[in-house]
Amino acid sequence: MEPLEIFIVETTEPSEAKAYESIMKDIISELAFVRTIGRIKVRIRPEDSLFMMAIVLRSGLPPIKAKEISSTELDRPGSKVVITVTDEKTIPQFLEKLWTQFGRANVIQPQRNLIEVISDDLEATEDSIGDIVVDDPEKSLRERLADMAIRATPEGFRIRYHSLDDGKFIFVASEDTMQQEWIDEARVMLEDLTGDDVNGSSA
Amino acid sequence: MAAVLEPYIYEGGIHKHSLILELLEDLGGYLVQKTPASTEVTLVMLIPKKDVPLVEELCNKLLGKLTSAPLTGTEIAVVSPTLASHHLPHSACDVAEFLRRGGANTNMIGLARGMGRRVALSADYERRLINEHDVAVFSFGTFKDCIINKKPKLFEGIDIPIIVTGGPDLKTEDVPGCDIYVGGIGRVAHRMRKGPELDAMDVLNEKVGEIINLKRERISKDPLVVLPARLMKEVQEQVPDIHDVLTPAPITLQLDGMRVKLPFEEYHEAIGNIEFDEGFKLSDIADIMPSKMKNYVLIKIKRRSEVGSII
Repeated sequence: MEPLEIFIVETTEPSEAKAYESIMKDIISELAFVRTIGRIKVRIRPEDSLFMMAIVLRSGLPPIKAKEISSTELDRPGSKVVITVTDEKTIPQFLEKLWTQFGRANVIQPQRNLIEVISDDLEATEDSIGDIVVDDPEKSLRERLADMAIRATPEGFRIRYHSLDDGKFIFVASEDTMQQEWIDEARVMLEDLTGDDVNGSSA
Repeated sequence: MAAVLEPYIYEGGIHKHSLILELLEDLGGYLVQKTPASTEVTLVMLIPKKDVPLVEELCNKLLGKLTSAPLTGTEIAVVSPTLASHHLPHSACDVAEFLRRGGANTNMIGLARGMGRRVALSADYERRLINEHDVAVFSFGTFKDCIINKKPKLFEGIDIPIIVTGGPDLKTEDVPGCDIYVGGIGRVAHRMRKGPELDAMDVLNEKVGEIINLKRERISKDPLVVLPARLMKEVQEQVPDIHDVLTPAPITLQLDGMRVKLPFEEYHEAIGNIEFDEGFKLSDIADIMPSKMKNYVLIKIKRRSEVGSII
C-alpha cells in the first residue's frame, strides 16, 4: 500500500469537502503521519453534528531492537559492557530501558554515542542487551492517532468513539449521544477502504 | 473649522524619523501610534489632507514608505468561537493582522463557550466587551449549515456592526444578523499565504473599510464635540502617567471615543478634569466609564446635539 493512496473527504455540501481536505492534510503533515497512513476516508454531516473517519494504516513498523542500532563489546578489566550506538536519536529511549533493567547507577554515558553498563556477569548482560526493545513505533503511533483524530474533529464534538484493530482505525465524534448506526456506518466506510485490497486495485 | 485629516502609515528606518514627527506637529496633524522594532519604526498618523504631499516628500527622502490606512483610529474586535487550536491561531490571527495593516487596533476575543453547534453561546460579559469596539469581526469555519443556522445566536446582544468571515461563498442576506459576510476565510491549519486566501483578506479589509466609512458618515451628521485625536493629545499632556504605561497602544482611538489603558478607579477623576483651551472640561463633553477590558477607562465623546457646540 502506498502512502495516502486513498484520501477522500465527503461532506453534505460537496464544495466544503475541499476545504476540510486541506485541514486534514495540514494535520497529517504536522503530526508526521504521511508515511504511516495508507488510506483515509472522512465523512462529515454538519446538520447531524457528525464526524466520521476511517483509516487503514500501512503495516511494516516492527519494534526496533537494540542490536539493530548499536554494537556491544566487553571491557573485561573494567568489568563492563561498552555499547556503541549508531542511531543517535534513539539514545534517550535506549537509556531509559537500560536504567530500568540495570539500575541507574550501573549505566554510564561517557560520550554522546557510548553507553557503559557495569555488571558482574558480563556475558549474560551482553546477550540480553541486544534483544531490548528500544522503541515501539506502533505504540507511539497509537498515541498520535488519537491526537490527530481530536485535532481533525470540529470543536465541540465531545462525544467520541474510536477503535483500533490490526492497523484499522475508526473514529466517530458528535455533539449528541452516540448512536450505534453511526458506528456501523463508520465500519462500512472502513470495509470499503480495505475492500480494495481483496480486489487488488486501488483508487 | 477643523482641517480634514487623512490617515496614513509610515514604515521606515528609525533614523531621523523624528523629522516626520516635527513636521506633523507643525502641520497640525496627530501621531496615533508609534511602534519601534529594532532599527525600523511604524508610525500611524493623521495628516491634514492638503499637506499630505509635504509629508510624502519627506518620507521619500528618508527612504520610507507612506501608505494610506483607512482603518486608522478604529478599534476592532476579532471574535473567535473559542481559544482552542481549531479556531486559533491561524485564520483569526491572520484576520487581525490584516486589519492592523489597514491601521486598525484589534483585540482578539475568544469566547468561553462558543464551540460546537448546539451548545454555542456567549456570556453577557463577552457581549458588553465586544460592544465597546467600533466593529466586530466574527471568524467562523467551513460549514454553511453552521454559519447560517447555528452560529448567528452568538450575535445576540451585539449592537455594533457585525462582519462575518467563513469558508463557503455565501451572500450576506443568507447569514441572519450580520452586516457583511466575507467568504474564503474559513478554518485553516496553516498561515494564510496562498493567492486566493490573501485576496479574500483584501476583500475583508475593503468591506470593513466600507462599514467604518458608513459609521463615520453617520457621526459627521451630528459631529463629536471634540476630535478623538485631539483628545488623545490632551490626555498625553495632562495625564503624564500615560507615558509609563507599557501595553501596546496605551491610548486606543475609537471612532467616537477612546480607551485609556489606566485603572479607572485611580484615574477617572484626573481624566474627567482634563481642560480644553475653549473652556470645557472633559467630563462635560464626554461619558467616562469603566471598561470591561481590565477595568481601563473608556471615553465616549458626546455629540454636538447634546452639548450645543463643538470645539
